[in-house]
Amino acid sequence: MARIADCGSTWTKILDLESDLIEIIQTKELVKRADAFFEVATGHSGRIRCSKYKNELIALAEGGLRLVGEEDFSLMDVGGRDIKFVRFVGRKVDKLDWNLACGSTTGATVELLGGYYDIDFESLEPADKWINVTCGVFGMERVLEHISTGTTPEESVAMFLHGVVRNVYDFAGRPERLYLSGGFCDNHCFLRTIEKYCSVRALGRTVPLEGLKGEIT
Amino acid sequence: MVSQSEKRVIGYFGFPRRSILRGIRERFGMDIELVDLDIDIGAPDTGILPATTCSIIRNIIDNSVNMKDKLAVVVAAVGEGKCDRGRHAAEILKRMGLEVTESRFPPEEFENRPLQYSTGRLPLAEKIDSIMRSIVDPSPPGEPPERCEPTHGFWGVPPNDARILEFFPDTTHIYGWTRCVEAGRPGDIDLECGIDNGVPTVYFTQSFCAKQDLAHYLAERSRGLLVDCHRDVNDSILAKIEAFIRLS
Repeated sequence: MARIADCGSTWTKILDLESDLIEIIQTKELVKRADAFFEVATGHSGRIRCSKYKNELIALAEGGLRLVGEEDFSLMDVGGRDIKFVRFVGRKVDKLDWNLACGSTTGATVELLGGYYDIDFESLEPADKWINVTCGVFGMERVLEHISTGTTPEESVAMFLHGVVRNVYDFAGRPERLYLSGGFCDNHCFLRTIEKYCSVRALGRTVPLEGLKGEIT
Repeated sequence: MVSQSEKRVIGYFGFPRRSILRGIRERFGMDIELVDLDIDIGAPDTGILPATTCSIIRNIIDNSVNMKDKLAVVVAAVGEGKCDRGRHAAEILKRMGLEVTESRFPPEEFENRPLQYSTGRLPLAEKIDSIMRSIVDPSPPGEPPERCEPTHGFWGVPPNDARILEFFPDTTHIYGWTRCVEAGRPGDIDLECGIDNGVPTVYFTQSFCAKQDLAHYLAERSRGLLVDCHRDVNDSILAKIEAFIRLS
């Protein structure tokens, strides 16, 4: 049974190449599975669980090229731990970057805040104001400060999300249109917030998996 | 207590004036060992500096304190060729009782040495090591590497963790402060900011280093890759460099 996987820090996406079924599990579950070994993998948690490992940024770039037909486009993956960006001009890489430290760990923080305050991101209204999210920890401190001074948890978390959006938009070089990859494609409030800045096309959570398909002989 | 005459090591950091280094060696003996205090040689953390200190400055303090009984003198580059934190490190070492000779490399003493390693074909780590050795021994290389056209660039200082250099091809040209060292021009900011447009370049600094300002500015304007690293490199930083080199 040939399987490929994108094993992120908080979520793992597994594609069974025979059935074409995709399984998405929390990475904390992946590490407990005895059969968690793949033909090809990418992601922070994939390196020790595969026959062939592919660099995450390369998997994202090649996946983007398979899914987007345009000559010039910008692609951003917002993950639990980091942000990855690739800009193509004439379908060649023009610029890439990977935010690993400050400004990252924001996706996981959104999940933590959402879980703690029981936030429904489907119905959460975007905030006009934002919190400066230097990193997940600093951003969370600001959220707690707002809540302690009377702002509702919903509005505070929406402001945090707006801060993440601004980081993403700046990191991408403020494009007119952005192709988005990763779990935030399912976050309605995030999508509505980023549309304040640029048009967004959500590609879903499986862009790196697309980039792994080329490794299967 | 160890007497001054029993101390058999000269420590230095940055790129001190050649005349000062020469004078110190004549004073203590030309055969005395010289140690570059910028480099991580496994000294235990003294905890003297904040956690958010550039690894190079932390190395200087930790190495000096842990070698205190062997160090005859610390020759400290504290001028524009180093940084304010280098000057602060020199002051801290003085206040801790070490003999410190401060060096400010004046522009009148700038040299114009050929950039044989910065533009040569050789593994990047070897090129950087050879350049840094030229601070103590400026004699021309016996067998300089063959000059090559750049396929990639490395801008910055020698990294605290040399694994960061492993992905670069032998045809990588060196820019930034390391190039200034080879040219014999520490603190020459024009040379430090000189890049080859069109050459995909990694702009490297230690985290919490003031050179991050320059690196960020240059990387943004040349579509380069900004990389900073605190203490040891991790897999994600290596993967970022690998992807940039492969896809650029």
